[in-house]
Amino acid sequence: MTGVDGDRAADRGGRGDHGDRLARLREGVESHALTALAVITSAALVVAFYYPTATVLVEAVVVDGAVTLGVFADVLTDPFYFGELARLLSGESPAAVARSLLSPDRRLGIVGFTAYQAVLSTIASVALGLPAAYLLARFEFPGRKTLRSLTIVPFVLPSIMVAVGFVATFGDNGTLNAALTAFGLPRVDLLFTLEAVVIAHAFYNAPLVARVTTAAWESVDASAVETARSLGAGPVRAFVDVVAPQVYPAVLTGAALTFVFTFGTFPIVLALGGFQLATVEVFVYRLVRDLSYAEAAALAIVELVISLGVLLAYLRYEARNSTSTRGARPLPRRSLVPPAPTLRELLPRAGLAAYVAVAGVVFLAPIASMILASVTGGDGALTLDHYRFLVERQQTGAAFQVRPWPAIRNSLLFATGATLLALPMGVVVAVLTTRRYRGRTLVDAAAMAPLAVSGIIVGLGLLRGLVFGVEIAGWRIAASGAVAVVVAHAVSGYPFVVRTVSPGLAGLDRSLVESARALGASRARVIRDVELPLVWPAVVAGAAFAFAISIGEFTSTVVLATGADAYTMPVAIERFIGRRLGPATAMGVVLLVVTGLSFVVIERLGGEHRGL
Amino acid sequence: MGSEPPAEPTGDETDPAVAVELDGVTKRYGETAAVDGVSLRVREGEFFTLVGPSGCGKTTTLRLIAGFEEPTSGTVRFGGKSMAGVPPEDRDVGVVFQSYALFPHMTVGENVAYGLNFADPPEGTTRDERVAELLELVDLPDAADRDPESLSGGQQQRIAMARALAPGPDVLLLDEPMSALDARLRERLRAQVKEIQSELGITTIYVTHDQEEALAVSDRVAVMNGGTPEQVAPPRTVYREPATRFVAEFVGDNNVFTGSVVDAPAAPDGELAVDVDGGDETLRARTDADPGTAASVGDRIAFCVRPEHLRVASADDGGADESAAPAGENALRATVASAEFLGETTRVTLDWGDRELLVRAVDPLDGAVTVGFDPEDAHVIEVESR
Repeated sequence: MTGVDGDRAADRGGRGDHGDRLARLREGVESHALTALAVITSAALVVAFYYPTATVLVEAVVVDGAVTLGVFADVLTDPFYFGELARLLSGESPAAVARSLLSPDRRLGIVGFTAYQAVLSTIASVALGLPAAYLLARFEFPGRKTLRSLTIVPFVLPSIMVAVGFVATFGDNGTLNAALTAFGLPRVDLLFTLEAVVIAHAFYNAPLVARVTTAAWESVDASAVETARSLGAGPVRAFVDVVAPQVYPAVLTGAALTFVFTFGTFPIVLALGGFQLATVEVFVYRLVRDLSYAEAAALAIVELVISLGVLLAYLRYEARNSTSTRGARPLPRRSLVPPAPTLRELLPRAGLAAYVAVAGVVFLAPIASMILASVTGGDGALTLDHYRFLVERQQTGAAFQVRPWPAIRNSLLFATGATLLALPMGVVVAVLTTRRYRGRTLVDAAAMAPLAVSGIIVGLGLLRGLVFGVEIAGWRIAASGAVAVVVAHAVSGYPFVVRTVSPGLAGLDRSLVESARALGASRARVIRDVELPLVWPAVVAGAAFAFAISIGEFTSTVVLATGADAYTMPVAIERFIGRRLGPATAMGVVLLVVTGLSFVVIERLGGEHRGL
Repeated sequence: MGSEPPAEPTGDETDPAVAVELDGVTKRYGETAAVDGVSLRVREGEFFTLVGPSGCGKTTTLRLIAGFEEPTSGTVRFGGKSMAGVPPEDRDVGVVFQSYALFPHMTVGENVAYGLNFADPPEGTTRDERVAELLELVDLPDAADRDPESLSGGQQQRIAMARALAPGPDVLLLDEPMSALDARLRERLRAQVKEIQSELGITTIYVTHDQEEALAVSDRVAVMNGGTPEQVAPPRTVYREPATRFVAEFVGDNNVFTGSVVDAPAAPDGELAVDVDGGDETLRARTDADPGTAASVGDRIAFCVRPEHLRVASADDGGADESAAPAGENALRATVASAEFLGETTRVTLDWGDRELLVRAVDPLDGAVTVGFDPEDAHVIEVESR
């Protein structure tokens, strides 16, 4: 066997001088590539997120050049924001405050109300999500896998479009009242009520709860349950002792995320609640519009502290409770058709049937109502008038009016740009947060912060920072509104790239990476050759996420698009909805179609179809 | 017990061809030291095995050599050169993991060729030839286009081996490469690994928890316990002259006796008389010239006798005492507690006082027995001076 023990060092020497230098250069670049990428990503985050956000937030504590907590004190002790709790902060006795809180005419204040509706929304989302998880994890039926993939859809649907869908469902002339009238029942007025907001939030977040819970339920090892059964536990006891403890952390994950998302809610409340049901974010928007930046910043910080508190508590919980049960044998799925007509077989299935009916209304009605409303005239007859309106507006609209084509074009351009920016950022952060080192949790939290910071504040910061121009070390950096929108979208989208890619990276067998390194591949080269190809479906899913987030993003866009021609489809819908529902629903359908088509394109570009 | 683990066999220091050297290497995770002040020298072309129970630090030691971990203190040297700060990709090592870690998104051929992206194949060989050559070497010449996941465990292990060897590494590191395989296959594969190793003459460091495997393939074995090697020696020495009580009990079956010396010879080698703990008997054990085992009257002592050196006979047989223990030998009385039939022999556990003894027997045994052994077959492990 000649040459098998050939010496690598000698082989390298065999190359020409030129090739040698090139090789060394390449090696040098490769060995520092990871550091360089980390630095570039950090710099991008500072420019696109931390610096602009900080410039706004700092206004809460710096007034006329002097540091003060006055603005904070005003906000914290104002019953308008904190309700009865504000009295506690301004020095009243806890007993008196507690009494007022228990009385029926208690005042919660804006912050209190925001938390209250977030808690209600979380409860509704968990209640609506758990039966779905049970169905998906424990039963086998045709289309189960498709349904499982579809649970991602509500979450990535543009929120303003969903709001339009809910208006079309719950409004005075909505489908719900039409149905009630048809059955001779009294009409209901749900629009601008807390119920409508909570149901809309559940529409968004219940599928999220269902997804994470299903995943946890599926990873429960059947032999653990079988062991419990063989030791004498009945099916219920085995569920309580073995299955529930493994599923429960996932439910908590879903609940924590739901709380954070609904605490910072904006478009849903703006469209379905109006200012009389204002949440913190809606009020921050209003303060920004009234140019009360200091108060807006102080309020946004309060919001941030609460959201980050929940996120951090959750991250710590997750770190303590994360268990990997890879390679486990999952619990066998049951057929939806009961094997025997006994009560024990029939009862859960009957429950599921009832659930499916409710879920069908919650999840399908808004979309169906929106589509229906877009082709229904004021007289109830089918018509294409609303679409005709869009075409006419495009042809004859004045420069200051919102026209459909620029909105579509901007949405697609921004989403493409945001995806191209968010994808590398997200992948780099995912790589960095799946390594083991001290302070990793901090990096993780810092990278995830955009999830918890008010989109209004990010938008405002970018507007005053990037758009109006920043001076850093003598260099003046200024960007157009369009660029700022792309940056804002990338910032809000990349955490989702991180969240889709990092579980895959973390789950990779460490010895795959180590084998490649022992074979001579640099750290960066291993990422390219081994890690990314193996988590490629997650990368494609992350791209789809970033794209969808961008296309549906409303909060920071509405701030940045003001005055600029940088309006997008969601902004256009919001402008239309203020006047008439018809054109808004037509625009909503256009948004739905464009989003759907984009997903198909992304999947094609991504190659192999392995689902989300 | 007082005795220190012995130093490296002398002669090592003057051997110029040291391929891998660990010099006082310690690896701490927080408060616990996974590897605790390890000094080892692995010679050029040697098949060197790190063996020990789980948690003894053998895999961490291998990972320190590969460069996946950096030592907390101490130095790893390759050919005399310090490897501090040298990443794994620049160490010219080949690694085979227990999980094989074949890249699932590449074919077998691409797997084997992967290392050739970073090192040229030997002069006059193309990449493809090199891959074919390696697949030939591991006896899987037609596997190049196959999907790694379509291969059996044993085949995957061989491909992992081919992949590690393709770039021509200086050192081959094997981390429990057989432990996921069944016993039969393991025996066949370890013979093949040994064959390839001697054919290529490549310095190989092998990690296993299986002492039998370690004895079977190695030129030298380091028996590790609690983050340090307790003995580094050729397999025969480790088996016949275990340096510590841990080594005596970890490598193969053994009977360890402790007791107090009641009579000692004047010369360094001779027979000791020991009042053993747990029995009334006074047993005699031969000491050799090893200064570590020189004992005098009153010392506490530990010595061991392998089961195959214990002769056992049923006490009921007439004149059995003679057959089990001829004049000048040690004799014990015990009763049979249990027996495991292993095919070739039977492994019998005896109750001797409140202790247990392991013996080998061909014929079935029952009831009271006598056990005898030659003082020559007793190996003194530890001596604690008064």
